[in-house]
Amino acid sequence: MSERELLAQDIKGALKRGLFGLSPIAESLVAAALGLIIGAIIMALSGFDPIVAYAALLKGGFASTYALATSAARATPLLLTGLTFAICVRAGMFNIGAEGQMYMGALAAVTLSYFVLPPGLYQIVGILFAMTAGALWSLIPALLRVFRGVSEVISTIMFNWISHFLAFYLIAKILVDPARSSQTVRVPVAARFPILIPRTDLSYALFAALAFAILIYVLLWHTPTGYEIRAAGLNPRAAKYGGIKSKRTMIMSFLLGGMSAGLAGAAMAMGTPPSYAVFAGLSQIANLGFNGMAVAMVGRNHPIGMIASALLFGGLAAGAREMQISAGVPVEMVGVVQGVIVIALAVPELLRIFRIFRKRWPRLFGRRAEV
Amino acid sequence: MVQVDQTPRAVGTSELFLAAHGISKTYSDGTEALKRVDLEIHHGEIIGLLGENGAGKTTLTKILSGLLPPTEGRVESPRGSVRFASPREATDFGIGMVHQHFALVGPFTAAENVALSHERPFTRIRLAKSLERLKALMEESGLHVPLDVPIEKLAVGEQQRVEILKVLSRDVDLLILDEPTSVLTPLEVDNLFELLHKLRGQGKSIILITHKLKEVQSITDRIVVLRHGELVGNVRTSEATTEHLARLMVGEALEQAADAVELRDDALPVRRDEVLDDIEKEIVLHVEKLVSRGNTGEIAVDGVSFDVHAGEIFGIAGVEGNGQSELVECLTGLRVPTQGKATIVGTDILGRDPREIYRLGVAHIPEDRWEVGLVLPFTLAENAILGIHRWEQFRGPLRTIRWGAVQQHVRALMKRFEIRATGPSAPAKSLSGGNQQKLIVGRELAKDPAVIVASQPTRGLDVASAKYIRDLLVDMRNRGRAVLLVSADLDEVLARSDRVAIMYEGRFMTVCRPAELDRETVGMLMGGVTSGAKEVCDE
Repeated sequence: MSERELLAQDIKGALKRGLFGLSPIAESLVAAALGLIIGAIIMALSGFDPIVAYAALLKGGFASTYALATSAARATPLLLTGLTFAICVRAGMFNIGAEGQMYMGALAAVTLSYFVLPPGLYQIVGILFAMTAGALWSLIPALLRVFRGVSEVISTIMFNWISHFLAFYLIAKILVDPARSSQTVRVPVAARFPILIPRTDLSYALFAALAFAILIYVLLWHTPTGYEIRAAGLNPRAAKYGGIKSKRTMIMSFLLGGMSAGLAGAAMAMGTPPSYAVFAGLSQIANLGFNGMAVAMVGRNHPIGMIASALLFGGLAAGAREMQISAGVPVEMVGVVQGVIVIALAVPELLRIFRIFRKRWPRLFGRRAEV
Repeated sequence: MVQVDQTPRAVGTSELFLAAHGISKTYSDGTEALKRVDLEIHHGEIIGLLGENGAGKTTLTKILSGLLPPTEGRVESPRGSVRFASPREATDFGIGMVHQHFALVGPFTAAENVALSHERPFTRIRLAKSLERLKALMEESGLHVPLDVPIEKLAVGEQQRVEILKVLSRDVDLLILDEPTSVLTPLEVDNLFELLHKLRGQGKSIILITHKLKEVQSITDRIVVLRHGELVGNVRTSEATTEHLARLMVGEALEQAADAVELRDDALPVRRDEVLDDIEKEIVLHVEKLVSRGNTGEIAVDGVSFDVHAGEIFGIAGVEGNGQSELVECLTGLRVPTQGKATIVGTDILGRDPREIYRLGVAHIPEDRWEVGLVLPFTLAENAILGIHRWEQFRGPLRTIRWGAVQQHVRALMKRFEIRATGPSAPAKSLSGGNQQKLIVGRELAKDPAVIVASQPTRGLDVASAKYIRDLLVDMRNRGRAVLLVSADLDEVLARSDRVAIMYEGRFMTVCRPAELDRETVGMLMGGVTSGAKEVCDE
């Protein structure tokens, strides 16, 4: 069967496994509509015109080349950090650590400026650096889980804080730009992702993210390794019976997830004009890892679905400014409305995931102990 | 037809507590769990409920305690109608049940667990009062447990006592115990029986669900035997002989093996280089003094030795939970045994992982097809390659999986093994039980194995699917494979095996040809009784 037929089959299968008897796409549309309506009610109650506000959101997010380019630029790192979460969920684990793994990737990419390389190699080396850093940072919680039984949820959250303060230290003391103490050294010009559309933030990093998403899709659904990861994620006992080593699939999924988050860091450090550096306080990259989890939920932890959901999130982020400027909605209210829409979209997948994980962690979810 | 003994009056002239009239139960999937069962329970008697797996014991107790509505018939009590919405209502009425798997909160102490069972939502928990009551109850019943230790730190026997205390503290009149001795040490069993006697003295009724003949004879006043949902015996214990009970439990008739159909010739490849006469003597699977622990650390397999030859079906019969599962898991790489030896054509297999064992030519049809045999959310195609997903015939460029080849393989399986599904991309959970099992069997036989380990291969299947799978196993035997058939379905094992072992509490009670066993002996051996059973044919 050809690639395309399989994709069609995947989409058909995805359509079939809907909650509430709805197909996932219809379900998402209903959820989005609900989110928009609730958001509109909140705005109306607070004295803003929802129609004007949504028009501004649409205009700022999707209505022009500039708007679309901005949305796509915002979507790039979110798609990658979302993949971190999605790969691990497919393997049956919660990796909350994309945030920290992304920091490590961004800082690793920045260190490029200390090396002298042939011009053509800079980007590749930068990407490799960042992916390696992310993967190594992700490897420790994976090993703790596999060999010591430490919950990966707890350890990845802790690792986020470790990397948070480690990043503060590195930015302030080690990687600091001698000219400007508020940021790291800048990524060398030869290492930067070229800008795709002039006068926007959109760089070739978008293609790196898309390529990685497609790579993950192929890996998960078209290779024996991906098959093993998904089997172990859905039913560890059956996987063991099928000769699959779940320790291996767990570590593999964390490594892949870390690479993805590291690449997100590289996309930010090497692809965000005009600074091409990481700011003290991590202002331009903070929370991209956490938001990626929402992208994964809305995209149903499927790389292809997540391309769409990352674009939606990018659009919401890009449209927020327009909402503020032309509809006069304060930034806090914009956040509330965005939050409502995102939650509405993520709920069905959240429910599905919890159902799978409840079996795994009876204690966490309060099932009676079988003594 | 088995003759049903007249219902005897209970010991003494105690009053009636509960009466079931003409109870039938048909589950929504068409399973007839009970057929017109009549039963009376009086105050102050201990009733043993005897029967094989699937005889309807659990269904009957659930109906008696009002947790399940009967399809036909009614349960009555001088106290009023018996129909409850929850176990709590049942205990309020005076019926308490102690399940095989305890419903206790691990990190809570005994006192907290008991208090928990008394509380209603949104009320204050009065732990001190409950503790006081519990101590009084412990004195009264003679049941002693540590009160301030988390439940999970207690031995299983102690946990059971907490469970019983929990039920007694609700002041029940009827106590139903589901296989209470299966988790206990012999000393704990003695203590439990002493307690049951004491409770009977206080006028309480007790139903003891069990398959152990010795136990049921040593403690009960009356024994009720179920077989295939029918009440086939209701006898006073003092008048029942072990032989009689054994015969009642396992029945008289045997399904004949002769009607095994010839399978289509293309169903499976015949091993190319074999001459049946030669390999019939060959020992394929050799097991020696295998010892293994179960999930709770108890010795589950206790020194089992046997050989399975090529072209032979070696059956293991017995009531479930006597170590069969653990034995199979040891042989298929899912459990590491404590001691012993097992080889496949001379190669040691113990402690190897499932993939290596499969490479040595072992196919495994696991007893739990939902939790182990299949990844339910996966499609038919994805499930059909579980364990063989790295086969060369499915490998495309760059080490990808060639789904086209997989689909072809699945379509062939569907045709050969009569798997009915909408197509290779249907999710496995959308298939009926019979088709799911055929999918597993097809996948395993496609490995062209030398040894087939089939564990409860037909449990819960419709008659046609069950027969089909049994015939397949016979066919595999005829093609020179060694088959290890583990089943709680006595008819299946006895009719299809060339040799059969009966397993009880981790050991083989006997190994012999099915023709050399009569039903009575089988029933006694399954119930753990050897004395009085005719000398059997150990080789």
